[in-house]
Amino acid sequence: MGESVHTPTSSFAEELAAIPGGEAVNKCIQCGICTASCAVARYSDEYRPRQLIQKILLGEREEVLKSELPWLCMTCRLCEERCQEGVSPAEVFHAVRILAAREGHVPLAFRQVMAALMRDGWILGDSYTDFEEEDREDLGLETDLGWNNEFLHRLKQYLPLEEDE
Amino acid sequence: MNEILLYRGCTTPVRLPAYEAATIAVLEKLGVKVRDMKDVTCCGAQYVESISQIAFAAMSGRILAMAEKEGLDILAICGACSGSLKINKHLLDHNEEARGQVNDILAEEGLKYTGKVRVRHLLQVLAEDIGFSEVERAIVKPYEGIKIAAHYGCHVTRPFEIVQVDDPENPTIIDQLAEIAGAESVDYAGKTRCCGGPMLAMDEKIATKIGQEKIKNVEVAGADVILTACEFCDLQLTQVQFDEAMSSTRRIPVMPITQFLGPALGIDEDRLGLGLNRIDPSPVLDALQGGSA
Repeated sequence: MGESVHTPTSSFAEELAAIPGGEAVNKCIQCGICTASCAVARYSDEYRPRQLIQKILLGEREEVLKSELPWLCMTCRLCEERCQEGVSPAEVFHAVRILAAREGHVPLAFRQVMAALMRDGWILGDSYTDFEEEDREDLGLETDLGWNNEFLHRLKQYLPLEEDE
Repeated sequence: MNEILLYRGCTTPVRLPAYEAATIAVLEKLGVKVRDMKDVTCCGAQYVESISQIAFAAMSGRILAMAEKEGLDILAICGACSGSLKINKHLLDHNEEARGQVNDILAEEGLKYTGKVRVRHLLQVLAEDIGFSEVERAIVKPYEGIKIAAHYGCHVTRPFEIVQVDDPENPTIIDQLAEIAGAESVDYAGKTRCCGGPMLAMDEKIATKIGQEKIKNVEVAGADVILTACEFCDLQLTQVQFDEAMSSTRRIPVMPITQFLGPALGIDEDRLGLGLNRIDPSPVLDALQGGSA
């Protein structure tokens, strides 16, 4: 008692705060309602949103950016709806992902979907076969889905992706 | 509202076309004409969303600008699509810098985002634009003696400040629609929890366990059918029931809300794609007064 309140923060937290959505990280009081609400935490041995935010507040920059944990958030936002301090772990981890992507750390599963998206303009081009087309025809639905596969190329400069993908 | 533009998204047209067909048939029955959107891209949810805010905003911005040209609101039937379009609309409406940046990109195609059109999730169209009383008036063959468990879909109802659908902690639109159609809705543990679908890309095992927990809770509550308002949730809650860990349990039919409402509105079974459902919905249809559709 009588000592100053410990308010953890770090240059990493400040760096994330500069990315829209990341700014709320410094409001976290580490109560843990996010982990308690989290469906992923219930079944994963490693994913604990409170702990991940603590690592950000303590400045564990390299560890957090290279980790796959920030990519495990389902963005279901149940924790966000319950957080009384106005922190959205989904938004904080989006900010982490954007920073991680700039430094080349994007999980393979995400890179694969991005490759399909860049090629076709949508993510299920490979799965749309004659079989599905027939079902649509039987249902009286349009079979020519007419996706635009050019617009994504205009956005290339904003998407940190490897050329071979 | 008498006409709306359907943004189909990537998954529904390929993996759950019955949802698309049932939605078009039900809305038309209720006086809303549905027009397709073409020449659009994926909404970018989860993937582009995770790596670039401006690219994500531009993808939604372009879809919204195209709807502005038509002068019609957008109908989204997928939680991820409705979430993306609404989150980015909110950003573009409140952040001038982002809007300017996106409009510079869109200008190359002669498009402009001004914020004129709304993004409506299917549940909003049914509950607010058409209204419960209109739906009730159109029911010709109500269900009798059937219990439903509603699953809303995280991105449909959260974050509430932006998406403005129902009540994020106690949603009731699906329950109310089902009751209008004669069913009894049951509450169950973890009703507002996720189906696990967004975890499939990173960890299928965890995704499956999350979905199975939901199925177990629904079963304990004694529901005969699970009703959904997002194709990802529908597909996920169906496929987890085919996993080995659940092989000995009875499978509970999963149906999009419009596919469930269709027969009660007197719409032909063929137009609703009921024969395409992986889990046979006949026990549900048998509860229609006067027999199956």
